[in-house]
Amino acid sequence: MIKPFGFIKPKTVEEALSALQVPNSVCLAGGSDLLVEMRNGLKNPDLVVDIKGLKEAAEFSFDPRKGITIGAGVSLNFLAAHKGIRESCPALAEAAASIGSYQIRNRATLVGNICNASPAADMAPVLYILGAEMVIAGPGGEKTLPVSEFMTGVKQNALSAGEFVIKVNIPPLPRARMAFMKKQRVRGHDLALINAAGLADADAQLLRICVGACAVRPVLLEGTDELYRKEKNPDKLAEAVAGLASASVSPIDDVRASAEYRRDLVRVFARRIVKQVCAA
Amino acid sequence: METTSKETIITVKVNNISYTERVPCNMTLLQFLKDKLMLTGTKEGCGIGECGACTVIMNGKSVLSCLMLAAEADGAEIRTVEGEAGEQGLTALQQAFIDHGATQCGFCTPGMIMSAQELLERNPSPDREEIVEAIAGNLCRCTGYEPIIQAVQAVARDARDARNARNRGK
Repeated sequence: MIKPFGFIKPKTVEEALSALQVPNSVCLAGGSDLLVEMRNGLKNPDLVVDIKGLKEAAEFSFDPRKGITIGAGVSLNFLAAHKGIRESCPALAEAAASIGSYQIRNRATLVGNICNASPAADMAPVLYILGAEMVIAGPGGEKTLPVSEFMTGVKQNALSAGEFVIKVNIPPLPRARMAFMKKQRVRGHDLALINAAGLADADAQLLRICVGACAVRPVLLEGTDELYRKEKNPDKLAEAVAGLASASVSPIDDVRASAEYRRDLVRVFARRIVKQVCAA
Repeated sequence: METTSKETIITVKVNNISYTERVPCNMTLLQFLKDKLMLTGTKEGCGIGECGACTVIMNGKSVLSCLMLAAEADGAEIRTVEGEAGEQGLTALQQAFIDHGATQCGFCTPGMIMSAQELLERNPSPDREEIVEAIAGNLCRCTGYEPIIQAVQAVARDARDARNARNRGK
């Protein structure tokens, strides 16, 4: 049984911040993580603050030249179906479509996936390679934090008590090929035992690859731009990136896969991503 | 701003009937439907959002009622399986489930019906992949899924044939 709690649905950010001053209060967006945690006794809040009534939570804007803004209440199905995102930023749509089940995606949110901060968060690798920033509201005002600094550990984020994420900002999109990959035990509803996203911008000579579920936080590979610039042979580049990826992660054994399997798949995914995004 | 009360009052339309009820804030939508409104068609298979037996349609979208608080349904319109069959009898989808052996023990069926019905309302001619995606969140231990997919395909086919016949008649 879930411990009794109070419930409030604030209409403004100020009201939400005021509610979050109540000790042991939590934010509710899609609820697909929070309800499970409450059911399992992992979270026992005294007050649930439903942020879906805020107009900021519903905010969404898309312009490849200006960037993408995704409010805290925007659902994964909305992103997965959005025509502009599917065309200009397909890895984002694919990542969103890979989470849970259709019913879950009607409620679950991108912001919630990041705030939950599982190392296997499927939205994380894409946001890392795009350089996304979390916009945080708090008693001290509004601030932004790169997603890579926001996810601080296993199910840990950089929010202090009384703060919450209002939206995510993605900078203007690079003119790049993108890829997203996720390995599951089964088709359909499953967590990732490894996921990864990559993009290559041939004009700017940028190669970004991020691997998830292989360390306590998603791992953005370092030095990929240099490898991309130096190694023109696609097979050699793929091998070099595979080696870099393998050396950059520290996977564990868990119910979904062994560390050994993850180490192997990291190389496979790195190679496949390079081949897909660096195609001539 | 009252934050100490552990109860809240919600007004929700379920199968076209409006209800105003005082509910505990920690009551899930599933518990509300089954225990408060005595609409026991919706099932609890897992309670943690992994089986889909609790699927209902809220404001036109299929959702898992075990992962929602009743409080979140304030102001919403909900459809459960009890609202599907009407004066005309069973819906085309329900009849197709019977015709194609898509229901054995029946436990997954209310959730399956709501997921499949929601699909057909937003996409009257789904292909097999789209059907599979729509019901991937509904687990069935009996049928092996194939009869369910065929039932949905049959309804889509019949609707398409009826549309084509109407268009030819114009």
